[in-house]
Amino acid sequence: MERFAGLLQQLPRHQGEMLRALHLAQEELGWISRDAIRLIARHLRVSEAQVYGPATFYAEFRHSPPPKTLVTWCSGPSCRVVGGDRVRRIFEAEFGCHMGENTADDELGLWLGQCNGTCEKAPMVWVNGRVVGPLSMVDTVKLARGLKAGDDPVTWPERPIKIAPATFVDAESTYGSEHADSGPDGTNDGTV
Amino acid sequence: MSSVYDEIREAAELSAAPRRSPSRPLVRVDLSTSSIAAEADRLWEALEPLAAEHDVDLVRVGTLGLSWLEPVVEVERPGFGGGGAVVYGPVRPEEAGQFLTAALGEHPLEDAAQWLIGARTPVQGVPSLSDHPFWAPQERRLMQSMGVIDPESLDEAIAAGAYEALDRAIEMEPMAICDLVLSAGVGGRGGGGFPAGQKWKFLLGAQSQTKYLVCNADEGDPGAFVNRVLMESDPHLVIEGMAIAGKATGSDYGFIYIRDEYPLSIARMELALAQARERGLLGENIFGSGFDFDLEITRGAGSYVCGEETGLIASVEGLRGMPKIRPPFPAQKGVFAEPSNVNNTETYANVPLIVQHGADWYRLHGTESDPGTKMFSISGSLERPGILEVPFGMGMDELLLGCGGGPPDGHTPKGIQPGGPLGGLLPASDLGLKLERPPFTERGVLLGSGGLILFDERASAVDLTKYFSEFCEDESCGRCTTCHGGSQRLVEVLERIMHGDGREEDLERIGVIDKTLQNANCLHGQFTPYAVRGLVNYFRDELDVHINDKRDPAQVAPGLTRYLITDQSDPRLEEAATFCPTSCINRAPVESDDDEEPSDELGDWQINEPQCIHCDVCREIAPDAIRVEDRYLTMLSVV
Repeated sequence: MERFAGLLQQLPRHQGEMLRALHLAQEELGWISRDAIRLIARHLRVSEAQVYGPATFYAEFRHSPPPKTLVTWCSGPSCRVVGGDRVRRIFEAEFGCHMGENTADDELGLWLGQCNGTCEKAPMVWVNGRVVGPLSMVDTVKLARGLKAGDDPVTWPERPIKIAPATFVDAESTYGSEHADSGPDGTNDGTV
Repeated sequence: MSSVYDEIREAAELSAAPRRSPSRPLVRVDLSTSSIAAEADRLWEALEPLAAEHDVDLVRVGTLGLSWLEPVVEVERPGFGGGGAVVYGPVRPEEAGQFLTAALGEHPLEDAAQWLIGARTPVQGVPSLSDHPFWAPQERRLMQSMGVIDPESLDEAIAAGAYEALDRAIEMEPMAICDLVLSAGVGGRGGGGFPAGQKWKFLLGAQSQTKYLVCNADEGDPGAFVNRVLMESDPHLVIEGMAIAGKATGSDYGFIYIRDEYPLSIARMELALAQARERGLLGENIFGSGFDFDLEITRGAGSYVCGEETGLIASVEGLRGMPKIRPPFPAQKGVFAEPSNVNNTETYANVPLIVQHGADWYRLHGTESDPGTKMFSISGSLERPGILEVPFGMGMDELLLGCGGGPPDGHTPKGIQPGGPLGGLLPASDLGLKLERPPFTERGVLLGSGGLILFDERASAVDLTKYFSEFCEDESCGRCTTCHGGSQRLVEVLERIMHGDGREEDLERIGVIDKTLQNANCLHGQFTPYAVRGLVNYFRDELDVHINDKRDPAQVAPGLTRYLITDQSDPRLEEAATFCPTSCINRAPVESDDDEEPSDELGDWQINEPQCIHCDVCREIAPDAIRVEDRYLTMLSVV
């Protein structure tokens, strides 16, 4: 908190710095606490309500401490048309919490994310900011249970990659199916 | 050319020479959000220690657009096959060594055949990338340098021609620049299509000492990632476009509003701004002409409605991003009540090209209503999702089925979702539409900012519509009751339909909500009913089946389907049961006649329906033993 207060002093005292101040709070503290709101209000010379307003308007700002491992579920339509909603239901059932909530021990949490255009990985989630996908439903259950068991999300081993073959107009026979075999594993063909 | 620019250009060309005409092999690695999602960063880490050993230079570049082949690596070998650049992908991090050895060896065409995509510039014996169906119809103007230059190197950008147009524009009269942009006919790329030159003239005519420019990079439409690619792969193009706009409108300061979901774009734009400032391309007295211009970045925080220009302005001011009623228009009263101009990132990026090559060149491609080219991001049920740039007026089928390859695994296209959540839905029979605004508007949908999503018969149009309505409800700023209340009612009606409680009068109800929403104050509310209107107009059969027959042909609505075990003998049921997230697949012990000794025998597998979350994991494991059935039909047949 002290570090945040110090960094906050470096921002100009202007209402236009509001989003920057809120981002700073979230980066430093992990979430926008009541104390952070008070500090920002004092620094920008506005009322606490004028900070609370934007802080609650924008979906990125948290109002409770973040979990150790955050699973952000992509809510976008490209994911949706290939089973994204099922991925959500699996995570909610496995973690026993809903979007925006943490598990009771604050180890894991779910967050509703917006499409950032890595749609070729659909359906996908971000585990602590890292894209994991495309997920079959079996992968999803494995991922959720692995995270519950304390797997390191960054080195999560079974990241399936589904790759469509590259085909040329005139050279189909030469280059047709080469790429289909180049994936590291074939776990994502729907069968196990 | 001013002498100042000449000097800058000369120095940059000298410094970028080793990369423009390399003396030893160059390996370019695509490092962008899409490729990093495919572990290009890990590939880079794997390649780095190998570079010295193979005597190659490793260069970071933006994206070529071949998202489905990420991570993409390009190898340029001086003296090999004429010295052109060969594109390979996907190269997995663990294959780094094997790949380098193969691609740099004596016979790369055979040894690295498994990764070979094509030659970007001619290489003897390698199929040209321009023959690839994804590449062939493209007209790459904005994307010309993308995937070729290092987006974090100002030298490379300048050597490729960046800021040359600014140098030219600085010596022009503001009105002449506005006229040039107006005669080129570049329209607002966010989807509005309002002529940029006209908008600039409004700002130029505004009486004020202070005028602001705003770049709208709050690309909130799910499935659209045009701005992201622009900022990540060629950030200086955007900066140059804004500086020219500054000269044309008499403005000396601008804000680039980037959504928080694009951290790499923010980082690359911040870096590009710092570089440009240091080189004197931004700041005071640019090129010694007396023209001052500077930019700052405002980081969004996850609000879709901030893509609406007045909402965006409120957000830049540090307020809740709630749109206001126009007039006053931003050119009268915008950021901090000063006259302002808001354009999309892609609109600004087009400007240097127009100044450089002229309005006639710009109009060589495109149509009367929409001249020029447009970047499209294509995704959904596609063989080859990615990002490309084509002339306006091209057939949508050519783009989605030709370039994109259509749905994979033999699925059939069912519909298209253009223009984001507010864009509406089109049936597959409209695939022949030309990609320009008028035919889309005539069909009651929006072409939007460049995102096109194809969906196949596995997707439910009702479910998609419900998703878009939920999105609009969630992202409504909450000011107008018509909008936040209307979208809530819309979601309720659709939800009920998907749970089998649809009624005939729902269609009429949807019509009333549609009409009411059109009275909302801003475009967000006014466009919210586009999706449901598309559903009613083009997917009426599917909606009717939901309402009247209580059936979902795509079998995704949990309320209208249920999972049934059809083959008790399948051994995979055991595994399916262990994978079920709610443990709802069980079998109880057979009741024993003898109370003392309970039976070890287990009865039939059963799915405990109230617990089932319809996640499909069991069917993935045991596809032959578990079936999805229409809930109401099967219940009737049981009775």
